[in-house]
Amino acid sequence: MIAPHVSDTDALYLIKVGEIHLKDGNRTEFDDRLKYDIKHRLAGIKTELSSREGRFYLRIDEKESTRAEYVLSHTPGVNGWARAHRVRKDIESIEEAAATVISPYLEAGPQSFKIEARRSDKGFPLDSYGVAREIGGRLLRRFPGLSVDVHTPALVVNIEIREKAYVFILGGSGVRGLPVGSGGRGLLLLSGGIDSPVAGFRMLSRGLALESLHFHSYPYTSREAWEKVRDLASALACYAGGMLLHTLSFTEVQLKIQKDAREEYATLYLRACMMMAADMVAKKLKLNSIVTGESLGQVASQTAENMRFTGSFTDMALLRPLVGTDKEDIMRQARTIGTYDLSIQPYDDCCVLFTPKHPVLKAAYEKSREEFLAMGFEKSVAETIDSMNTVRLPCAFTPLREP
Amino acid sequence: MRSMTSHYLDWAATAPPFADIQIAAADFASTTYGNPSSAHTAGRAAGEALEQARARFAGVIGAPSNSIVWTSGGTEADSIALLSVLRRQRPVSIVVSAIEHDAVYQQAKTLSELGVQLIVVRPSGDGTVSPGSVADAIRRDTALVSVMAVNNETGAIQPIAAIVEAVRAASAAAGADPFVHTDAVQSFGKVPFDAAGFRVDAASFSGHKFGGPRGTGALYLRRPLETLARGGGQERGIRPGTVNVPGAWAFAAAAERALHRRQQSYDEAAVLERQLFDGIRSISGATVLPECRNAGAPGYSPYITCVAFPGLGGETLARVLDDGGVFVSTGAACSGARKERRVLDAMGVPRELSFSSVRVSFGRDTTAEDVNAFLEKATDAYRRFKV
Repeated sequence: MIAPHVSDTDALYLIKVGEIHLKDGNRTEFDDRLKYDIKHRLAGIKTELSSREGRFYLRIDEKESTRAEYVLSHTPGVNGWARAHRVRKDIESIEEAAATVISPYLEAGPQSFKIEARRSDKGFPLDSYGVAREIGGRLLRRFPGLSVDVHTPALVVNIEIREKAYVFILGGSGVRGLPVGSGGRGLLLLSGGIDSPVAGFRMLSRGLALESLHFHSYPYTSREAWEKVRDLASALACYAGGMLLHTLSFTEVQLKIQKDAREEYATLYLRACMMMAADMVAKKLKLNSIVTGESLGQVASQTAENMRFTGSFTDMALLRPLVGTDKEDIMRQARTIGTYDLSIQPYDDCCVLFTPKHPVLKAAYEKSREEFLAMGFEKSVAETIDSMNTVRLPCAFTPLREP
Repeated sequence: MRSMTSHYLDWAATAPPFADIQIAAADFASTTYGNPSSAHTAGRAAGEALEQARARFAGVIGAPSNSIVWTSGGTEADSIALLSVLRRQRPVSIVVSAIEHDAVYQQAKTLSELGVQLIVVRPSGDGTVSPGSVADAIRRDTALVSVMAVNNETGAIQPIAAIVEAVRAASAAAGADPFVHTDAVQSFGKVPFDAAGFRVDAASFSGHKFGGPRGTGALYLRRPLETLARGGGQERGIRPGTVNVPGAWAFAAAAERALHRRQQSYDEAAVLERQLFDGIRSISGATVLPECRNAGAPGYSPYITCVAFPGLGGETLARVLDDGGVFVSTGAACSGARKERRVLDAMGVPRELSFSSVRVSFGRDTTAEDVNAFLEKATDAYRRFKV
């Protein structure tokens, strides 16, 4: 049951949860995680969050409704939400509210619909079925484009009769997926490009809580480049419920690569060192996986051969959610989640002077590993971790620009 | 600002203002507040002050008072001259050098988008534009020629008098009468510049480059031109908009002082230039751009030097120097082909050099210690971060 209302000026939201539905044995655990995620993002605000029949109900002070809507749109595990229209408990008012919620959908053309009514105020003269039939009939007369379909309707108009009447249609405006943290906690390698924030978002929405790791090479890379990465991590923090951004200074490692490695191996060895560092950091922080934005064939270093080589420097689960995703689809998603405009700011993460003209495309596994290991990078990499810098980025309420 | 000692070597970007002039101008602004276009006493007082400032600056550059138009800076002065071309009958073409500041170069590109034929003249490897190459670009429909007096990245002094002469000769042969403009922003108060003697039709000046306030500038006009912008008719309609009287006053005062000190300041800059060049040549691999430039060469402003440290990105070096309290500029980007170094590219400087270059520029307060600090810190940075 929904909690008793605090005040008539509260806003009421209905939340459709996603794949939690499919969970059976540990359903409660997922439910609790999602409730925690929503509550945590609304910390300091008086809220009531309850669940009934696979839906969550959020009651919150009207003044905080913008924030609540932002949170519901950015919390993985939420499939969709709707703000309920609250009206007087009479048929005319309910009809008006139902007409208001349904008419935007009719702009696109004819729609099938059904009414789902619930009546907890048994004093109301019509029962649930009666409400559905009465309002359904009125809507049909009012909108010629509507037709009834009780089995597979395009629209479900919900009506709940309680101390007031609530009318709503659930949209699909959530992130979907699983609640953050239900899949443990991983380490995202965040570069400042377009791909890695998208990779992070995808794993967040699969329930993996994330911390981010960035490799900075000051003075070869600028402060602005780091600030851009910080902003990207902040953007992900909106979905993650907060984000730790770890930064390793990789200048000495890069200089050593420059000094010791053959030019065409510079990029590959740098990535191997990054993987080595990520492995050390993930283990130190007791994280369960490493997430990268690699996409097969996108750049020279992202061949299967080179992925095998770099991947061999960790035995953790190495998650590459974008490995089979087209660049344009990655860019589209980056725009949707609000990271694209940050990513394309022109502060490069690696100086052109370090990039070989002809990078090795298909590293010979045994030979390259042998050569790489002989150079003794572990010590330089381990040293960077001793002076790792960490900033905590809150889940700030900074509504992103509409895509 | 930082607490450590700092060494400002970016005078070509902007010069610290003369503090006393700045303060006097602020005082002046609150007392002589009238609009110089107003007919009442307060307006007339401002108008008189404005004309005094005009006469003062005209005297500084050896030109008649009525040849000076106040502007908001060098960029506006440049664009008034360039945009006047749009008043000409089509077809029309303009000639600019490839080493112009963006204030001229980008404006010229916009004109070409609007149907003006743009002819860009490349410099030689030494960074100067030859009079012959400009003359060769003159056609019957050439309406305007613009070549800067001193290049802001390399310090190369352009042979303006010879260019004007060559352009006039070629124009006479082609039956054209182009308006000859020069951007004198990096030249005024630094190297000899005689607008009247050079016989240019127009020259642009910027106050903050020689110790005046930001947002002040002037356009010298030897003959009238048709302008695009319209307004209240101020500045004979050439630059409409209420004139910044205290700004003009401070501009003129700073210009007078800069000119007064010009020779002494030039000699000092020449000594610093030699010190800088000697220092650079003792750093293995480092070089001045263009490489043919020597200390004391008369073709270059001793105030501006472009120095390359091959193997170390210009931006990277500038960052390390900044951390060490040494402030220099770079137009170079670390990001490869996406950014360009237009001026150095036009001179045929290889990218390995141009992308590893920084600009060191001097001004009236620059000392030998400043130059030493640059040399020391650049040497350290080069040793440590060269790849």
